Amino acid sequence: MNSAQLEIQLIASLVAVACAIPGTFLVLRKMAMISDAISHSILPGIVVGFLITHDLNSPLLILLAALTGIITVVLVEYIQKTGLVKEDTAIGLVFPALFSIGVIMIAKNADDVHLDVDAVLLGELAFAPFDRLIIDGTDLGPKSLWIVGTILFITITLLFTFFKELKVSTFDKGLAASLGFSPAIIHYGLMSVSSVTTVGAFDAVGAILVVALMIAPAAAAYLLTKDLKKMLTLSIGFGIFSALLGYWVAHWLDASIAGSITTVLGIVFLIVYLFAPTKGIIAVLYREKQQRTEVSLLTFLLHLKNHDEISERHVKHLNEHINWQKVRSKTVLDLAQKNNMITIENNIVSLTEKGDEFTSKAIDYIITNEDAQIEDMKDDFFLFRG
Amino acid sequence: MDITEYIQLVFTDYTLRTITLGTAILGAVCGMLGSFAVLRKQSLLGDAISHAALPGIAIAFLITGAKDTNTLLVGALVSGLIGTFWIRGIITKTHLKSDTALGLILSLFFGFGMLLLTFIQKQPNANQAGLDKYLFGQAATLVESDVWLMAIVASICLIVLLFFWKEFKILLFDADYTKTLGFNTKTIDILITSFIVLAIVLGLQTVGVVLMSAMLLAPAAAARQWTNSLAKMVFLAAVFGAFSGVFGTAISASQNNLSTGPVIVLVAGVFVVFSFIFSPSRGLLFKQIRFIKNRRDLQLHKTLAFMHNIAETHEDISHPHAIRLLNNFQGYTKSTLQKLVDKNYVELNGNMWSLTKTGFKTAANLYTKQSIEDE
Repeated sequence: MNSAQLEIQLIASLVAVACAIPGTFLVLRKMAMISDAISHSILPGIVVGFLITHDLNSPLLILLAALTGIITVVLVEYIQKTGLVKEDTAIGLVFPALFSIGVIMIAKNADDVHLDVDAVLLGELAFAPFDRLIIDGTDLGPKSLWIVGTILFITITLLFTFFKELKVSTFDKGLAASLGFSPAIIHYGLMSVSSVTTVGAFDAVGAILVVALMIAPAAAAYLLTKDLKKMLTLSIGFGIFSALLGYWVAHWLDASIAGSITTVLGIVFLIVYLFAPTKGIIAVLYREKQQRTEVSLLTFLLHLKNHDEISERHVKHLNEHINWQKVRSKTVLDLAQKNNMITIENNIVSLTEKGDEFTSKAIDYIITNEDAQIEDMKDDFFLFRG
Repeated sequence: MDITEYIQLVFTDYTLRTITLGTAILGAVCGMLGSFAVLRKQSLLGDAISHAALPGIAIAFLITGAKDTNTLLVGALVSGLIGTFWIRGIITKTHLKSDTALGLILSLFFGFGMLLLTFIQKQPNANQAGLDKYLFGQAATLVESDVWLMAIVASICLIVLLFFWKEFKILLFDADYTKTLGFNTKTIDILITSFIVLAIVLGLQTVGVVLMSAMLLAPAAAARQWTNSLAKMVFLAAVFGAFSGVFGTAISASQNNLSTGPVIVLVAGVFVVFSFIFSPSRGLLFKQIRFIKNRRDLQLHKTLAFMHNIAETHEDISHPHAIRLLNNFQGYTKSTLQKLVDKNYVELNGNMWSLTKTGFKTAANLYTKQSIEDE
């Protein structure tokens, strides 16, 4: 591993952290698509900045582009406020328009602008180490490392200073407002940080990867925890892991680093999506299946409780009467027997004392919807876990 | 080049005719299906799907090794559909919200597509050049067979739309009711979503992955402002879409260095802005005018009430008073005063005004009951 490789990985990891922090809040505030809109609509800002400064790394360019990002947010909110279209339509209208303006500006000034639209969307991390910051003849490292580092420093400072405010306003806007934190300031603050991060990161990793790095780690973390601090830590962890692994995959395939980091992020998300302990798709499907069985069980027990006649409690009759398929009735019967809720004698099913008590309790719960009575059942049955 | 010359050129020049026709058909199809996307609150789905189509194009190329448009579009269609159903899976099965799901699929699929594209570029196969035209689209690459494909898809869309019109409409506005009526909502849902994906995939070659969502949204959002009827909206959106295509092509053809996709999107954007401002019932301009008019009416009433207060203190209610009395009174202007005169509430006599009998009566009842004339 030479120093250029080390620098690339360092930049990628810093970008990952810088994106994961605002990304977590965007996902929690249901504004994930805003980051996509910003990442596209900063293009005209970048082009104008580039025409003025002729330097992709100049601070003015970053400021201009960030300004365009904020203009996007303001425009979207204005259109939404008129009530003419819904929020998502407003987003979908604003950013392609701005992006088109950017593309046309590039095309019209093709002689002046050595700026490729591909490069804006995808970035080229592999070239990042060649653009170095040199002050007084001393080499201080790649420019993008300094830019991303500064942005990350600002983001972390803001995060620690305003963590409480961010948390409150994210989860309870009304409470935040009544406590005296202006939701507007926090909202626009977050939007500004997202814009600046997007701009600062774009020339290293491109606009699309910025979106992926903001949303994917946060979404994966959100499936694993409900604690904000843990979610932040997890998404930072996912981000760094994908950045490093993605770099080596790209190295191995000799392909775009940005694309490969995104792909690793996708795989990470897919794994979490499938296997997350309680929110994962497998867990959800299993829970739904169990709940279906348990509803059947309850129906079955209720039937037994309501009927004393032997004819109604005959195994064969139950099959017909409740109209279940064989497999299903067997699962339900087994479950009931395993829990000692029924006994079967000569093919006649009867409730045990435990089953009787369980049924009354469950019915009571369904009618009154009071939680206290079923605390002890929650461990055994998915049905009552909500 | 003036307009008549250009129109002549459209009919005689092969390339221009193909592109104009292609973008017009594309605009119409996108407008039609976009109306459903907008009304179903799936506006950004188009954005996600168009990005999600990229890996499909790359994989189709990797498998066949040829740059045949139709194969690539099938690849795009498959990966677009996978993206769509994954989005649906995320939204229904987990607590992640739709915006997160859309952003996730969009960026992850696109990133994966880019990985494949850069991987393909490093391959020795010389055939790969030009795959990246799908990123931003290149209307200039349209040939007659592409236009035929678009026309066929457009007619299929139209037929299915007419055939299932009732089902689409009812699902759009009341999904629960549709279910109770016994319609298979899932199938209808999948049908309409698949058509939206199809339209997006068709447009990729012309306007590209990034701008495709605007093609879908803008005509529909513009059409929505002019009508409250679904049929009219779909029709209008198709017209707007087709015109955006034609005008966009014309503008980009008359200038150097202008790619067609962004220009079409900007033209569609102009349609949207125009509709937002000038639509008679919902437009911002007329809303503002109505707002001002209502305020004027209210203040006119206030003036009348003030006059009534003064007149009450006199035995003769028509006793003249100086207009000066009304100065500093909000809503009082020469023209509003004239309005009162026109309604025969007030008589003007030089610098003096006096209430008429009807005016006095109306003013007395102003705040107790609504007079019929004011309604």
